Amino acid sequence: MKLLFAAFILANAAWPAANVVSLRTAPARAELKGARASQQFLAVAKYSDGTERDVTAVSEWHLSNAALAKFISPARVAPSADGDLILTASFSGIQAKSTLKIEDAAAAQPITFQREISAILTTRGCNNSTCHGGVKGQGGFKLSANALYPAEDYEWITKGGGYQVLTAEVKGERIPRIDRANPEKSLLLSKPTMVSPHGGGKRFGTDSEDYRTVLGWIRGGAPYSSPGAQAEAKLTRLELYPSVAIVPVQAEHHLLVTAHFNDGHTEDYTHQSLYTVNDGDVAAVSPGGVVSAKRRGETSILIRAAGQVATAGVGVIGPPIPNYPEIARFNIIDEHIFPKLRKFQIIPSDLAGDSEFLRRVCLDLTGTLPPPRRAREFLASTDPRKREKLIDALIASPEFVDYWTFRFADLFRVSIFSNGLSPKWMEEYWEWIRNNIETNRPYDQVARERIAVEGYKPPSRHFLPYNQVGSPADAMAEEVRVFMGRRLDCAQCHNHPYENWSQDQFWGMAAFFSRMFRMGQVVVDHPTNMDLGTKDVGGSMDLLHPRTKAVVKPTVLDNSPLAVTPESNPRKELARWMTSHPYFAEAAVNRIWANFFARGIVDPVDDFRSTNPPTHPELLSALAANFRDQGYNLRRLMKIIVSSRTYQLSRTPNATNREDVSNFSRSLSRGLDAEVLLDAVADVTGIPETFSTAITEGAAVGQALAGTRAIQLRDPDTFFSRFLELYGRSNRGAVPERNHKPNLSQALHVLAGATYLDRLSQPNSRLAKLLKLGSGDEEIFNEFYVAALSRLPAADEVQEMKTILAQRADREAGLREFVWALISSREFAENH
Amino acid sequence: MQHPMNRRSFVTAGSLGFLGLSLREALSAAAASKSPVNGKAKAVILFWLEGGPSHIDTWDPKLNSNFKPISTNVPGIQISELLPKMAKRMDKFSLVRSMHTRGTDHPQATHYAMTGHEINPAMQFPSLGSIITREMGPRNAVPAHVLVPKWDRNRQYEEYFRSAFLGGDYDPMCIPDPSKPGFEITDLSLPKSVSQMAVESRSAFLKAVDRRYRALNETAEHTDMDAFTAQAWKMILTPAVRDAFDLAKESDTMKERYGKDSIGQSCLLARRLVEAGSRFVTAAGYHGTSWDTHSDNDKGHRDRLTPPLDRTLTALVEDLEERGLLESTLVIAMGEFGRTPTINVNLGRDHWPNCWSLALSGGGIKTGQVIGASDERGYNVTERVVTMGDLYATIYQALGIDWKKEYMSPIGRPVKIANSLEDKTGSPVKELLT
Repeated sequence: MKLLFAAFILANAAWPAANVVSLRTAPARAELKGARASQQFLAVAKYSDGTERDVTAVSEWHLSNAALAKFISPARVAPSADGDLILTASFSGIQAKSTLKIEDAAAAQPITFQREISAILTTRGCNNSTCHGGVKGQGGFKLSANALYPAEDYEWITKGGGYQVLTAEVKGERIPRIDRANPEKSLLLSKPTMVSPHGGGKRFGTDSEDYRTVLGWIRGGAPYSSPGAQAEAKLTRLELYPSVAIVPVQAEHHLLVTAHFNDGHTEDYTHQSLYTVNDGDVAAVSPGGVVSAKRRGETSILIRAAGQVATAGVGVIGPPIPNYPEIARFNIIDEHIFPKLRKFQIIPSDLAGDSEFLRRVCLDLTGTLPPPRRAREFLASTDPRKREKLIDALIASPEFVDYWTFRFADLFRVSIFSNGLSPKWMEEYWEWIRNNIETNRPYDQVARERIAVEGYKPPSRHFLPYNQVGSPADAMAEEVRVFMGRRLDCAQCHNHPYENWSQDQFWGMAAFFSRMFRMGQVVVDHPTNMDLGTKDVGGSMDLLHPRTKAVVKPTVLDNSPLAVTPESNPRKELARWMTSHPYFAEAAVNRIWANFFARGIVDPVDDFRSTNPPTHPELLSALAANFRDQGYNLRRLMKIIVSSRTYQLSRTPNATNREDVSNFSRSLSRGLDAEVLLDAVADVTGIPETFSTAITEGAAVGQALAGTRAIQLRDPDTFFSRFLELYGRSNRGAVPERNHKPNLSQALHVLAGATYLDRLSQPNSRLAKLLKLGSGDEEIFNEFYVAALSRLPAADEVQEMKTILAQRADREAGLREFVWALISSREFAENH
Repeated sequence: MQHPMNRRSFVTAGSLGFLGLSLREALSAAAASKSPVNGKAKAVILFWLEGGPSHIDTWDPKLNSNFKPISTNVPGIQISELLPKMAKRMDKFSLVRSMHTRGTDHPQATHYAMTGHEINPAMQFPSLGSIITREMGPRNAVPAHVLVPKWDRNRQYEEYFRSAFLGGDYDPMCIPDPSKPGFEITDLSLPKSVSQMAVESRSAFLKAVDRRYRALNETAEHTDMDAFTAQAWKMILTPAVRDAFDLAKESDTMKERYGKDSIGQSCLLARRLVEAGSRFVTAAGYHGTSWDTHSDNDKGHRDRLTPPLDRTLTALVEDLEERGLLESTLVIAMGEFGRTPTINVNLGRDHWPNCWSLALSGGGIKTGQVIGASDERGYNVTERVVTMGDLYATIYQALGIDWKKEYMSPIGRPVKIANSLEDKTGSPVKELLT
């Protein structure tokens, strides 16, 4: 171990062996306006092997006119007097230049809350969501997370008082946290310097720049903002340079943050931002945005300032690969996946062999193992287009319809217990889904119908948990999660602590569902211009904001109210808005993608947020655009996915991608869903499962039809099945999140449960049939391997199994044990 | 679809990172906030009184109850005449008469009682039993967390006893009703047809089948599955584990003493399991004969409900004491709420979370006392409000668990393990702790 480590260090110290071929500085041009402005620069060297390195710290920096500007820290320039000048970086005998323009260097700029103080509260971590930026604040003092709502923060600081989650009333006596008469005695200074006791510890010293800034602000009258357009400009976006930093192990890379304001001007915010790293084992980041690479891998850096969040990707790479192979690209997916792998010095696994591809694509498209005869046919075929033909055959198969009906019945929550307690309703809802899959109905139409459905139409059933119209909040949060991939739920009770979703936005969206009303078995939107004094609607269809108690108008997430008339169905407008929003196609594409790759481009699939960035943003947009352009055609999307080389990569890792789990450089293994696994056990053993139920009404009475597969069950939760229970079938009480983590009860069931044991000794089993035909040991091994794993056993595997079998006096018992082992193996229980 | 390396994804895709904490830091932060511990108790038996007993007809007798108060063997403490056996052993119990909780219907209140949190559409919360199992760890091959019997109907209640984001390791093993004929634990024993030889050959085959695949794709799931498989073999092959579930090992006298119904046999099994090594056992034998007396409250309490409670709870505590297990086993008898002090038109009492009572014994807690008090008719707490968070904190401290601990949910919401009203952390009821 020690030796290996030493070799690793050496390799890095020796690298780069390549020569510097060029140098550039960033930004190439900068304008400094006002005495308080500054600009951070960085220098990047390009080497003959094509790699780049940040050399800011080891370059020499020079200003063409020392009277106009000065360095306040390495490569960071502040103005002295107005004029133009040139900044030069020198490294390894090569120079690079940037130009600088300085204006208003002498003009005084007051310190304002909106600008300087908010930035200090952010960079010092005061408004972090684990401190005062938490839902309820900390120690009675509440700030908006990351200065998202600076005007509110200003109130709490200059007027005092405590925030309450459940009402807009202010708690406690209002004592300002600044002391205008004695600025030094302000709590805003004594707490962070620990002059007064502070649970959050010392955030800065009395001799720090931040201390002087806060003190200067209070002395200057503690203004919220300064007069003049530029000072009041709102920060709308953070731009990063670079947006993805590729950093060799043990090296550093500077990040530059440029703030864009709504009046069009930009400012360097590198030193006004807070940096946090997602995976601290891969890289560290220091204040001022210097990333230090620790070990190979990928992580993101979150950059926060003035309510905005941006993420920079960091790829920590090993030594460059000398002869990086050319990888053939099959389609648009590969155009995005492989360039990133190359940049990250990861070589993708080889193309999967036929049997690996066959099993994977059958399970992913149809949830069903290929029968041995079909598998042998495919493996034997020499047709160069056989994969394409297989894909088309699978997408057109009845199993495809079964499987995707099952998937969407899960996502859309077809459940007797959840949807109104009536088997009939559940079945009609299921049939609606099945019909959509069978006819490959455009997904946007499916979504619009589900969101805006009225009357007795089947999808309306999902609005009726326990036979009542569910709460507007729950209904809205579910539609947004399913169709836009966002989890707004947190904002139901409070502003989202680390996302730009406010409680107002949540209730604005919920208001679209507030008029839903059940009449008999019919769901309608109650007109608001009718007499509301009737008992049926309790006198009001208004939705009240839980904190302010004000009536909420239906308002979409970008804060624009949609035209909703008193008699119309407001959900129709919402459904149109939702399905035409870019989020819709992205969320759909990502959800389907995850089904084929064990993880989403955004993962978890329905947790899109600025702090959980996509691994391949351009790929996601490209696929979403394609999905939209092709009329939201799910089958077409799936075909693109499974036809890509990326999908068809082998599971076998190489030295460069063994650790990679997020770049799709190899096929990742994933546990089969309970229903799919149970069907696979039934198929391999040749003994179908019998499903019985306590339901006494509708199609599924007593027992499901003989031969019914688990993925064909309309509501698997209504059938007695210890197996499905153990392997995590979903009860569909909420949007399902399948858990493939193993547990003890599964292990017990594999060893001693009926699903495995009872099947082995049945007279009609695949094994019994083979024995009846007088098949030899090897023939039996082969047949089962093809049935379970879509491959033939290797020669050494056959040999080993023959040896084990020879030790058993009872051959038939020995073969049963072999079959047990096969269906208990991980290779069987996973897709890969 | 699941990420194949969950342990890492918790850190990378989860939220600790962007809260400015790595998982390691979060864990050490939790370790640093250790509070003083007591920790005589090693295990908990929750005697679950499903449906909610009427507090004024049991442990907090009032004039508006149709049952009389009787004196107990502790001077000054009176309980309802419906609990005569318990009255004779009052020195072994403490009563809390000032529970003040949330949830006015069974699902809400059961969820609240089992997790300390109100139902929240945005997330699921881990149950008390799963938290204790996680904090204390298993003692041996005997399942650490067990619920007996499981629900045949109303399976949604089972969810509330689960581990939510803590993971499957801490879910209760839910087993059938031990009082029913043919009771057996599924999957806990191999059929006689499977010999030792067969076990060995299966293992050999499995190794042979899996070798190639696992050499290429070893994942955290495989390691976990191996650990579970090893534990499963241990459970199947260790007679002690099977024995722990085997009520045939108990004498008929003992079965009679607990009661041969579902209520008694579940508690007897709970005692066997705790004796063998379980950490948290919920004895929920009242499924079939719930305390939910919306009609004929008095008749229900008198004929159907309190006799088995009185018999089984006393038997359990006496039995634990005789075996020297009472000091290390905390017994809690409670439902999800109390019942209204007024009688409704059906001669029943309705749900009352505002003020209710429960009983505690063992686990090193101080017994022979009453905590808190209610008003004249049992409507409101008048003295020493005890919240669910306070009860949890007390239980944790009895077990030596840091009750101030918070978990971070996968979506980045901190979850107090002893959550009290208004999002406060509960505090232990000091009077109960020695």
